[in-house]
Amino acid sequence: MTPAQPIRRHPAAEPEVVVALVGNPNAGKTTLFNALTGLRAKTANFPGTTVERRVGFSRLGPRRAKLIDLPGLYSISSETPEERIARDALTGRLPGLPRPDAVILLLDATHLERNLYLASQVLELGLPTVVALNMVDLAERAAIDIDVERLSAELGCPVVPLAARSGRGVEELRRRLEALAGRPWQPAPAASPPSHDCEGCPFKARFDWAEEVGGRCTVSRPAVTGERTARIDRVLTHPSIGVAAFLAVVFVVFGLIFWVAEWPMGWIEQGFAWAGGQLGRWLPEGEVKSLLVEGVVGGVGGVLVFLPQIAILFFFLSLLEDTGYLARAAFVMDRLMRRVGLPGKAFVPMISAHACAIPAIMSTRVIEDRRDRLVTILVLPLFSCSARIPVYTMLTALLFPHRPVAAAAVFTGAYALGIAAALGMAFAFKRTLLPGETRPLVLELPGYKLPGLRTSLLAAWDRARVFVRRAGTVILGASIVLWALASFPRTDPPQEAVALRERASALALVGDAEGADAAAARAESLARQHALGRSFAGRLGRFVEPAIRPLGYDWQIGVGILSSFAAREVIVSTLAVVYGVGETDDPQPLTETLRAARRSDGTPVFTAATSLSLLVFYVLAMQCLSTQAITRRETNGWRWPLFQLGYMTALAYVAALLVYQTARWLV
Amino acid sequence: MEPTAPLPETTVSLSRLLPGRCGVVISVEAGDAEIEQLKAMGVCEGREVMLVQAGDPLILRVMGTRIGVSARLAASVRVDACAGDTFGTRPGPAGGA
Repeated sequence: MTPAQPIRRHPAAEPEVVVALVGNPNAGKTTLFNALTGLRAKTANFPGTTVERRVGFSRLGPRRAKLIDLPGLYSISSETPEERIARDALTGRLPGLPRPDAVILLLDATHLERNLYLASQVLELGLPTVVALNMVDLAERAAIDIDVERLSAELGCPVVPLAARSGRGVEELRRRLEALAGRPWQPAPAASPPSHDCEGCPFKARFDWAEEVGGRCTVSRPAVTGERTARIDRVLTHPSIGVAAFLAVVFVVFGLIFWVAEWPMGWIEQGFAWAGGQLGRWLPEGEVKSLLVEGVVGGVGGVLVFLPQIAILFFFLSLLEDTGYLARAAFVMDRLMRRVGLPGKAFVPMISAHACAIPAIMSTRVIEDRRDRLVTILVLPLFSCSARIPVYTMLTALLFPHRPVAAAAVFTGAYALGIAAALGMAFAFKRTLLPGETRPLVLELPGYKLPGLRTSLLAAWDRARVFVRRAGTVILGASIVLWALASFPRTDPPQEAVALRERASALALVGDAEGADAAAARAESLARQHALGRSFAGRLGRFVEPAIRPLGYDWQIGVGILSSFAAREVIVSTLAVVYGVGETDDPQPLTETLRAARRSDGTPVFTAATSLSLLVFYVLAMQCLSTQAITRRETNGWRWPLFQLGYMTALAYVAALLVYQTARWLV
Repeated sequence: MEPTAPLPETTVSLSRLLPGRCGVVISVEAGDAEIEQLKAMGVCEGREVMLVQAGDPLILRVMGTRIGVSARLAASVRVDACAGDTFGTRPGPAGGA
């Protein structure tokens, strides 16, 4: 494998070269891009759009090349956002993006003719072009023999045979690009495929040309290709076996995610606990310490703990995509998904949403139709993401302590409720708010191949970076706001806490260290409870209490719910504080404390009805600022994230109300 | 070229080909964005397509690649028999051989 060349900033001796990478989907574009740029790539949107672009840097001799990965395309003539943007990028009509100095036109050697269709359109633009003839290794294995020199003559530009996955030919491509970029470019006459000589179908002339050129340049090819793919597809695209196989794949991938992620999640938790402890030890008592330990470390740590799951999910998704399986998954799910009015491609984001809605919303870009995509984005946060797991764990422990089977059933029920609500809402939206026929499926089923580990690792790395950036901005901000709401205005500790503190120092004086610690901890817990009750958050909790009383909640739960609008799992730590748990790390004391909590009339707070109602609320409510921020980015405005917040909160409220009122009479 | 009289009897809709049979695309009727995509992938006038797997969605083989296409879309593509092949079609409600 050719290692990616790290780029040092040159002292601007030569101007930067802009190179665009264009090719069919499944032609190995991402792999080639990674081989040329390595870790130095950034994923962002084309300005003002939600079409993703990757930009990376590569070295071309003494010069630095800025490599722009255009979306995978079959043509650049239609009016879909991707094709319009690719066209504009290649012709230099995108604001802030100069016309590329050179183009790498990626062709799949195993599907030369089909790829030549796009080639004919790109070559017509008259840009300095190098053809990267990818997957020559697979072509050789399939006994397809292509005359590279002939192809170069036919297309009027250099052709470099390569295998991006093993790195073969990548250096040669670099050399060719270097020789090409910035020099005067004379497209050979042969490079002009017929463009205007067709009356009826503009596609026909190009395909005729593509077939002729492809035929002339292919020395030999077997009569039948893709027998292995056909055999596998007979099973994996079967209407019933295919669905079963898909569910099995999902099950295995999820098992792996939750199993493998356990260790790194533990390390992250320990790391943040250690950092909080160190800060707590070294910083002087006061606002700064409280802000850093509780607000920053606590808040960001609580979200970053999901990083391993996100990275592992994207690693497996990329692996599955690379093998060609993901297209089959969309294919078999298409018919089922169509019943709720969504395309089969919406299914992959729906799986991802069970880990986290943020990457799921980012991956809705595979859905071409705007309405289909919007509906999918709107319902994705209804699927139970892993941030809900701590909440589900707490509530099932409250509902069914020491009864694992019943607890597992409640857990499963919560997931099932999320799925049913998402599909039901999708169905409703497609009939009311965003009506329109689901875009019919047109999907290439690429030949199966072994996946490249490097591509998948880079995909995981890339998504992880996006997530960490969010944690460092939006989530950090929300954590600080929440901390402020829960910490101000400052109040004096209650009488009881002051008395306990005095007692602790008295006990310490007589040498009873254990008694002193216990009294101090109790005092601390009382003071925190008191402070939170009188803080802005506590006042808000009391303010909303009349509205949430019909759901079976008191003001403390109200504080928990309000605080978890930034991130759901926050409710666990908030409840620990409002109900005054000394040790928040150990789940057992928390559930014990919660079970012992009493209302003013002496009845327990967490009855079965209240716990169930709270569970339903957490399944359905939109409580994640980060998801809202991503929805805003993906829909280009605040309208849809606000709608998402509104409908999900209303849905959660009504469902929790029904559950509480019903359960109260039944139990 | 001599104007040919409409002879729908000799052409069938792509969705009604028998699996394993091939046809030459005569016309693609609908005109939406997805038809554009279908054409850019090779299902356009004059190309040979083969039905690999019937159903909805169905699988076509065109220009050496397999593509999954919804039956509704495939129904708007009319094909003629490939050279040296006689039509094998499944019985359908209307049209066809």
